[in-house]
Parts: sequence; structure tokens; C-alpha cells
Amino acid sequence: MPYFKITLIRSSIGLPRKTQGVLNALGLRKRMATVFKPVNPSTAGQIMKIKELVAVSEVEQALTDAEMRAMRKPDPGYYIEKPVVG
Amino acid sequence: MFGPFRISSPLSGGLLWKIPWRLSNPQKRRQRKRLRLVDKVVATVDSALQRQNMELGRNVIRWKEEMPSEQEMRPKDKYTMFDRKEKKYRKGIHKLPKWTRVSQRINPPGF
Repeated sequence: MPYFKITLIRSSIGLPRKTQGVLNALGLRKRMATVFKPVNPSTAGQIMKIKELVAVSEVEQALTDAEMRAMRKPDPGYYIEKPVVG
Repeated sequence: MFGPFRISSPLSGGLLWKIPWRLSNPQKRRQRKRLRLVDKVVATVDSALQRQNMELGRNVIRWKEEMPSEQEMRPKDKYTMFDRKEKKYRKGIHKLPKWTRVSQRINPPGF
């Protein structure tokens, strides 16, 4: 099932209440916040209301916050060896 | 001398807000970039819905019918907008409040 990956790029400060309401409904509370919403006409309508503020892409899987955080995490540069038994 | 309430020509009275009457080249370039970004969002939404064979919403249909893309727009419409009070009926698009976050693409025909 495809999803829209929606990232808030521009802040809604000073924009009409309705615009801010759409962002709240989508769960975009601060800049660079990302949400995944299923592809359907109602989500599309919401995106069209805030198209100047967001970056949108279509993805196959919705990721949780923890998964997105894990993807951002850099390689630690070391690994811990296990003691050899025997 | 320093600080938020320092004396400067715009602050010491009078109408001296130095907003230039036209956009600079980098401003125009960023404006084109923003227009393309909005085009890209609409195209993504449109193609995603069509791939699912879902009906396009009213908003998407209307945008596709009425709004020109960045390539189709005339430079005049990208950087200026209609205003009945202006000489020659045009003012810089940066006079529009929140102009970097609203879509202002079409103007009355003939102006």
C-alpha cells in the first residue's frame, strides 16, 4: 500500500488559521517533521492545501519515527568483539 | 549606536522603507525554484493517485486546468502581479504578503 511521505519544509507562522489547521490535522507540528499518510483523495486534498510548505514523495512503506531515526544514525566506526569460548 | 532601537533612517521617522520596486536576480532565481517545487508536489500527488486508479480531487483537477507550470509562465507573471492601483497595473510580486509561501500565478487577461 503506497504512502505519501510529507515533510514540512516551510513554517506556517503568520499563515491563515485554516492552513495551520491542515498542518495540525496531518500531524506536522514543526519544520522538517515527516509524516506518512496513505495515498487517497482526501490526503491529496490536504496536501494541495499546503503544497507551498511541504515536500512530498510517494513511498511503498510507512516508517515509524524510530525507524527513521535509525536510518539517520551514523556508523559508530567500531564493533565489540565477543569472547571466544573453548 | 547598537541594539534594537538604534537610530537609522527608516526608524527615525518618515516613510523610508527601502523595499526595492523589483526583484533582484537571486530573488528571481529562488522564486523560480519555489515555483518548480510546488509543481513537483502537485505532479507527485497527481501521479500517485493515477497509479492507484483513484479519482483526482477537486483541488488537483482545478490546479491542472488553471495553473500554468513554471516553464509555461511568462517572466512577467513570475515576478510581477496585477494591481489596479499601480501605474501600468503591475507591481512586484514581493509586495504580496507572505509571497514566498503563497501561489500567485495567474493575472487578469490583457494586463
